[in-house]
Amino acid sequence: MKEKRKGPISIAGGLVDSVAATVRRMQRDREPRALAYDPTGYARLIQPEARGHERILQIAESMVAQAGSDGAAQSNEEAGTRPKKR
Amino acid sequence: MAETLTPDAAPARLLELSSDARAAVLLDAAGAPAAWTEADPERGRALAELARELFETVDRATRDWDPDPSEQIEVQVPGGAVFASRTPRWTLAVVARRAALSSLMLWDLRAVLGELEGGPPIRRSTSGDDGAASDTPAEQASEEAAAGESPVPELGAPGDES
Repeated sequence: MKEKRKGPISIAGGLVDSVAATVRRMQRDREPRALAYDPTGYARLIQPEARGHERILQIAESMVAQAGSDGAAQSNEEAGTRPKKR
Repeated sequence: MAETLTPDAAPARLLELSSDARAAVLLDAAGAPAAWTEADPERGRALAELARELFETVDRATRDWDPDPSEQIEVQVPGGAVFASRTPRWTLAVVARRAALSSLMLWDLRAVLGELEGGPPIRRSTSGDDGAASDTPAEQASEEAAAGESPVPELGAPGDES
């Protein structure tokens, strides 16, 4: 069966949907999250309402702050002051 | 003979493997810091303490729905990501860029821990003269053995002319 030809409005609508889906995906990817992997490599998302979820994120944020966040690391590299590796 | 990876060198090896890794720390079975990549020992110890607490908190959070303790952890937060992996003897944690690929980071963690546990060393490609020489008889023998395992038939081998 021959596919119905799309008009300009339909094409524009498809583009808008695609962009919106990409933005939603990027926002979802940026959200803080914690995953636990079992020995077989199966990942389980630690739900926000789970006990200790908030603390897990706090610890990870502290670790990132200790090592230098993405923005700080980038400015260090630009200034040529990347932390030395042991 | 290939060098054995020592605990002291394990965090640095992880940073060699991944350009996304910023800092790494190794803890022993008791949760005490064994080695770190940070130049400042205080920061290294602080990172180790946080890594130990991270696994403890995750164990508490997952105890209800998973009887087995998690082997690996991934936490994504603004500004970066934390990955950690453990064996009965060692725990290795790394702070990485937010854009780091989870599967690669977790693979690298597992590979370094495997090497630390006495597994085969991680093969790294080398450029220039460093990689060209394979002087030891053991290395030459393993290369010959690997060449013999090639599934591609040799051209002009006897029995081809039929």
